[in-house]
Amino acid sequence: MNNANAMTWKHLLMLLLAVGGSTLLISQAPANDEANFPMPAGKAYVDECGSCHTAYAPGMLPARAWRKMMAELADHFGEDASLSEPRRMEITQALELLASDGSQATLRMRRINATIPASAAPQRISETGYFRFIHDEVRPSIWKRKQIGTLANCIACHPRANDGRYGEREIRIPQN
Amino acid sequence: MIKQILMLALLSSSAHAESPQRILDSLVAQAGPASAARGEKLYRGKFSGGKTADSCTACHTDNAKAVGRHVRTSKAIDPLAPVAQKDRFTDPEKVEKWFRRNCNDVLGRACSPQEKADFTAYMISLK
Repeated sequence: MNNANAMTWKHLLMLLLAVGGSTLLISQAPANDEANFPMPAGKAYVDECGSCHTAYAPGMLPARAWRKMMAELADHFGEDASLSEPRRMEITQALELLASDGSQATLRMRRINATIPASAAPQRISETGYFRFIHDEVRPSIWKRKQIGTLANCIACHPRANDGRYGEREIRIPQN
Repeated sequence: MIKQILMLALLSSSAHAESPQRILDSLVAQAGPASAARGEKLYRGKFSGGKTADSCTACHTDNAKAVGRHVRTSKAIDPLAPVAQKDRFTDPEKVEKWFRRNCNDVLGRACSPQEKADFTAYMISLK
């Protein structure tokens, strides 16, 4: 009888610990919908890359894709986006470190990475499977709005995109 | 440590903000007197040498005091005129970088010191 009682208390304690532990874990973990990406430290990335387009989160493409892009800046989607060599190196390294196949990749980044064939080095995030999947609810008429215009204009609907923040709650779709 | 402090001092001095007038002065020193009217002609002109756009106004709009929009990416661009956007024409390196890139994008060649001086004079003249 005593033995049985002891077992019950032990079980109850374990149950409490398990529930408490899980609660703690869940409350500490970023909500899935927050979609925060790590961004390069310092201002170089946003200054150099973010003036013509959104400073895309490095975690949206694998390192090989960024390396290819950073090696072809003189003809960057038809534009001359060349940088001084120290700047180019600095930004390339930051991109590699935080890329979708980097050692620090978050679960979401790894999921993005899984939609990109190992043989491919995509140069447009909008051509990756994950991008298409996650935006499949957006009607074509919305993309055509003047303030959005192109799939490259993340910051039009994700105002904090340059901080790596793409959470659903922060989406603001321009009305025209 | 000392090296780091020196680097920091060097970096902060190179990023030292200038006034638009000082930037214009140094362009004039290379080119000769600037003309805001010629600068406006350049701003509003149509060209065919560049691959990205046929004019400055394609992205920066007819009104340099207004928010522009990148012709390719649709990203919003802060106004170009210092009267509307305080940090414009205050960083000599940034000014040079964008003349280098955008003259190539629109004209398909580098701008001359005279063109840069005229253009800057026009931007500063906007009130």
